[in-house]
Amino acid sequence: MRTLLKKLSDNRGISPVTICLWIVVLAGLAVFPKFVDSPYALHIMILLFLSTIMGESWNILGGYTGQYSVGHAAYFGVGAYTTMMLMQYKQIPPWYGMWVGAAVVVVVALVIGSICFRLRGPYFVLASIAVAEILRLVAMNLKDFTNGAEGILATEIPPFKIGETVVTDFLSKVPFYYIGLVFAVVTIIVTVLVQHSKLGYYFQAIREDQDAAHSLGINLAFHKNVALLFSAVLTSMAGSFYAIYIGFIDPPTVLALDISVQIVLICIIGGIGTIYGPVVGSLVLVPLSEALRSNLIAQGIFKLGLASEESAVGIFLKEHLAHAHALIYGILVVVVILFMPDGVLGFVKKLFTARKRENA
Amino acid sequence: MGAILEIKHVSKFFGGLAANSDVSFDMTEGMIMGLIGPNGAGKTTLFNCITGYYPPSRGEVLFKGMKMNGLEPNKVCKLGMARTWQKVRPLAKMSVLDNVMVGALCRTNSLKVARDIAMEQLKVVRMDKKADFLAGGLPIGERKKLEVARVLATKPVLLLLDEVMGGLNPAESEEIIQLILEIKKAGVTQMVIEHDMKAIMRISDRIVVLNSGEKLAEGNPQEIVTNQAVIDAYLGSEH
Amino acid sequence: MTVLLQSLISGILIGGVYALIGIGLTIIFGVMRVINFAHGDILMLGMYLTYNLFTKLGIDPYVSVLICIPVMFIYGGLLQKIFINRMLGALPQNQILLTIGLGLIMSNTMMLIYTSDYKILTTSYSSSSVNVAGISVSEPLAISFLITAAITTALYWFLMKTDTGQAIRATAQDREAAQLMGINVKWMSILAFGMGSALAATAGALISPTYYIFPQVGSTFTLKAFVITVLGGMGSIVGATLGGIIIGVAESVGAVYISSGWKDVIVFVLFILVLLFKPAGLMGKSRM
Ligand SMILES: Nc1ncnc2c1ncn2[C@@H]1O[C@H](COP(=O)(O)OP(=O)(O)O)[C@@H](O)[C@H]1O
Ligand SMILES: [Mg+2]
Repeated sequence: MRTLLKKLSDNRGISPVTICLWIVVLAGLAVFPKFVDSPYALHIMILLFLSTIMGESWNILGGYTGQYSVGHAAYFGVGAYTTMMLMQYKQIPPWYGMWVGAAVVVVVALVIGSICFRLRGPYFVLASIAVAEILRLVAMNLKDFTNGAEGILATEIPPFKIGETVVTDFLSKVPFYYIGLVFAVVTIIVTVLVQHSKLGYYFQAIREDQDAAHSLGINLAFHKNVALLFSAVLTSMAGSFYAIYIGFIDPPTVLALDISVQIVLICIIGGIGTIYGPVVGSLVLVPLSEALRSNLIAQGIFKLGLASEESAVGIFLKEHLAHAHALIYGILVVVVILFMPDGVLGFVKKLFTARKRENA
Repeated sequence: MGAILEIKHVSKFFGGLAANSDVSFDMTEGMIMGLIGPNGAGKTTLFNCITGYYPPSRGEVLFKGMKMNGLEPNKVCKLGMARTWQKVRPLAKMSVLDNVMVGALCRTNSLKVARDIAMEQLKVVRMDKKADFLAGGLPIGERKKLEVARVLATKPVLLLLDEVMGGLNPAESEEIIQLILEIKKAGVTQMVIEHDMKAIMRISDRIVVLNSGEKLAEGNPQEIVTNQAVIDAYLGSEH
Repeated sequence: MTVLLQSLISGILIGGVYALIGIGLTIIFGVMRVINFAHGDILMLGMYLTYNLFTKLGIDPYVSVLICIPVMFIYGGLLQKIFINRMLGALPQNQILLTIGLGLIMSNTMMLIYTSDYKILTTSYSSSSVNVAGISVSEPLAISFLITAAITTALYWFLMKTDTGQAIRATAQDREAAQLMGINVKWMSILAFGMGSALAATAGALISPTYYIFPQVGSTFTLKAFVITVLGGMGSIVGATLGGIIIGVAESVGAVYISSGWKDVIVFVLFILVLLFKPAGLMGKSRM
């Protein structure tokens, strides 16, 4: 064990303390459902995992490689649709379907990459949006194939069997919790491995200066496409997971610009181009939007006596605050971009170093 | 000994402007070629054409006898020809060591090997103490040295240096001159763009003078300083 | 034949309004090199302003343009002064995100106030049409086209003939040079964002009698504005005008001959083709 730790930290530049912390957190998360059986708590945790997967995946392309895609809904949606359609129309269980989804996304990503990576800066952003919008419109219009605007409702998830033994029937949230956890951990590990590899160095060089990277022997098109493939495939996994977990998809919920923007926000708010950024971003965004959605915040305001439940303000808050989560997103983005360009994580780090300097 | 680099009738047009027109010369292995000329003469453009940043509009570039036209910069670098940028391009949010490692990774897939090569190159430019600093925060003199260390880490056989002494103080310039001579000793062929005439005369085996995109003269330093056309067009006006 | 002609004409008419949206975006990009992702949301604010003026005060939507222009000019100028100016040197990605954030705030504030219900502004002429030589032309579209033409002409005159207009163009051409020439570049940016916003909001006012009004309507128009300006060449006003008309015609002809569902796909495919093969746009050379 010790030698393993040492080897890991030597080769990958990860400190043993970090690894131990990781193990503790993972163990905690692994036993969490044993102690907490509130479906709502599990739901929040599952959303956290999902958000982390989406953020980490985008981060590989946007954060490390500097290619700000605002069209990741394309990969999320294609993954979700493939898995869902295979399950509903062809009775193919989702744990096979999601790999088909990933394969489809590889093709989609290669096409999108060959279009968008010819462009730089704002033009790349615009092209990535346009391509995702085309996919959304196609899903809306191919009614016979995707059921159009009506979306697809999962009627029954086949139980997961190995041989004849039923591993799980997906009736509770617990299996989703563990699947989400495993996916999230895998995504983070992939990111760590990429970051501490030749690929990671090349991705970051491309982010910092494409022309310099090019002149240092880096094949730009190839490496951007590799980053995109990592990013897109992981995002499609998140999409498949979302489809099965929520049980309903339609173009606005899995293919719209909103989804793409939300994916970027997770990273921006946490801290772009860092391993923990998307985790922190998720920890900020998910509870916040859930609290708003379930009117916890309005209730808090009443409890604190800031407004009475019967007053005009109170009624207004109760009715509308639930819809305000996107507003909070907007405010958060503006505040973060203006005052914490390195995200919450970078901001906290800066606070700490400033504190340290004061103490010294 | 055959030529390592042959530039044959290279022209480059930007709209109506001929930034290079019909430039030809050869470089033999191990030499230092000085490339001089007033600002806007087309020196950087020539570097860009040679290294594949963009293809020349006309003419061709042969490196070790191979035609380079249309080859992308990354392939050119892999073949052993590397360049620095006049306007330095540090990978700002990466450490000094990481910057040089990116160069070293051109020749190896192992981070460990790359790290060793990078440390070695940082020692060559005497910046090993700064390995963990962020490249974006370095003063200009050190950025220029980083640029050289990074490009050396790609193990070039032909090195193109674009004004690596620009903006440096005399002590720093002297350091770079010594560095260029060391690189020469190691057997690397070099083409050096420089405005400091004293420096260029000292280090160059041969010199090409560009003016308004055209080759005005070529010869050894002695021939260049006594060439009337060069004195009229360039040296006279500066000194 | 009449069908084609009819859809061509209504395409050109709606294209005029699109041109207004595109010109607004292109002025902002030209002067500040910032792509304004809140453009459609500003248009949406113009729609709601018009809606309220109509339902609360009985002001005709076309008359309310006169109120929209100054109000949204000041609004845009303030946005620029308070938010965008801080970001002028920043990474383009961060500028984009800032305007995305501002757009989210606008649309969701409106959703808090008006819910996400579709609102309809019905005037006596909302669905009436005039008959010109056997071709029926929607009356509100025709009126809004005339207003658009008047505004565009006035804008050209302002940019070409007045000192301030020339200063704005100089800033767009080369910010640093303009600064050296003693032009107050910050002020020009505020003017540009104000003008861009006023134009977007005017477009919103003009289409409010014929479109559903709801808080999320902006993103469609933001995307459309990108397509129009990229098509014409980022920063070119003539290009944006041309781009607006082209998109208007492509949409309305596409709606007739393909289907209204697929017409937007055509627009985006066109967009990507232009990005790839003519990245400078149709009028890329002439900046403003
Ligand atoms: N990408 C470009 N587009 C248009 N003109 C250019 C470009 N690069 C260089 N030029 C022009 O070509 C001429 C030569 O420039 P350059 O090669 O940088 O000169 P030098 O390096 O000798 O100072 C200059 O007039 C410059 O303005
Ligand atoms: Mg130069």
